[in-house]
Amino acid sequence: MSRRPTSSLAACVWIPLFSLRCEEARHEGLAAYPTALLAPDTTRKLWQVSSLARHAGVKPGMTVCQAIGLCSALRLIEPDPVHYDERFANLLSELNEVSPVVESAELGLAYVGTDGLEGIFGEPQKIIDAIRRTVGRSDGRTVRVGWGKGKFVAWVAASRSKPDEAVIVPLGGEREFLASQPISVLPLDSDIHRRLRQLGIRTLGALAAIPEAAITSQFGAVGKRLWRLAAGRIAEPVAGRIAPEPIVAALTFFTPVGERELLVHSLDKLIGRALKHPRRIGWRVHAVRLRADIEGGGSWLVPHLFKDPTADGDRLAAPLKTRLEHSPPTGAVERLVLEFIAFAPGTTELQLFARDAQAAARAGHQRALQSAAREIRMRVKRSSLYHIIEVQPWSRLPERRYALIDYEP
Amino acid sequence: MVPSARTPLRTDRLRAVNVPRAVTVELNESGRMTVGRPDGRTVGQVEAILESWRIDDEWWRQTISRSYLELLLAGGKRIVVFQDLLTGLWFMQLP
Repeated sequence: MSRRPTSSLAACVWIPLFSLRCEEARHEGLAAYPTALLAPDTTRKLWQVSSLARHAGVKPGMTVCQAIGLCSALRLIEPDPVHYDERFANLLSELNEVSPVVESAELGLAYVGTDGLEGIFGEPQKIIDAIRRTVGRSDGRTVRVGWGKGKFVAWVAASRSKPDEAVIVPLGGEREFLASQPISVLPLDSDIHRRLRQLGIRTLGALAAIPEAAITSQFGAVGKRLWRLAAGRIAEPVAGRIAPEPIVAALTFFTPVGERELLVHSLDKLIGRALKHPRRIGWRVHAVRLRADIEGGGSWLVPHLFKDPTADGDRLAAPLKTRLEHSPPTGAVERLVLEFIAFAPGTTELQLFARDAQAAARAGHQRALQSAAREIRMRVKRSSLYHIIEVQPWSRLPERRYALIDYEP
Repeated sequence: MVPSARTPLRTDRLRAVNVPRAVTVELNESGRMTVGRPDGRTVGQVEAILESWRIDDEWWRQTISRSYLELLLAGGKRIVVFQDLLTGLWFMQLP
């Protein structure tokens, strides 16, 4: 097995409120209104809140009732995690054009390994310009970029940067840069954050000034790691992913097969088998090839490149079945071979693609809902699908507890 | 990629669920309680009052005062009605 490529120099690419930005990108004019995304779980609380809504006092974690009370013009949006994952996967693919070492951290946050890129682009600023040009095609207005040694320094730099101005931490200057940063940039929970503040520790420099052993005895292993991050002692490299080798699934028939139905059925089986291959976990299929060995010599080949890479069996099968229908093999088939030959990375935050069955099920569920909603709209000429949201579930008055909101999957 | 047809949801499009529906509650000739709709149709004759409770709320803005009854109707159906104690009107509502 080949080793994952790594890079000690990192550029952090961060798009704050990535999911909300995806919605603003597909609904023209939405950015001009106070907006909030509902949480993708069942709590029906607010997840991401636009800056206009924040100015009105709306915060993530609020209930719809509280938010509406503060901002009556608030526009609520149902989350569409599949769409956000697709957009983020596209972003990762774009970053792969700049560097082969790209690591996704969460939706909207990725690290680009820049070791060796100075030979291509030049100094770090030029590398960042190249990243900006690539990302700018889709998310240029909101992207923040930071550069430094190790992921943590790059992340802190990105969090301090402005949309039009990257922060570069020169090599050797990590400690000095980190010293003035607030402790909120550390990956710590609210309890540790509160305790550090109670101890009067406001900056990474103040934390690093305390002996490592003292922090370790107070906060255990977590504290030790936080201290080492604050002191610039840890420089975690960016770990890229290696595109998997092609996956091949084949079926040899005892007697050559000419019936199209049987070939289609065999194709479904092959796709199912190839999707379950362990090498494919975490990857979506970008290109497939279906070939057949024909009785008496000769062969038949259908390549297909997916515009939107997918891990869904039905979507993979559709173009191949169409070709089987319209230009089938010219003779009986002795052997049918399916190959996944190119892949696109999935994302990790929602684990849509890390668990194949979940990914396919969720994407399929969404498409089925969209199709059903379209049919209902065609039949009744208006939207008649609603989502129940909690307004005041604790209220003693039954009509205050829940409300219906238009639902368009 | 085909753009989504979804439109943002607006709070002014929120619809209340379980809004009280006006009903009439009367005693018929035989002295039995009958629940009816405003258009004159009968909902059912009351066999028994299963439970009663009262809600007094929001005295700090517009007072709400309701007397709820859970009723067993002839035929076995259960419904919940309440009388608005400020107006005297009756309503049916899911509990």
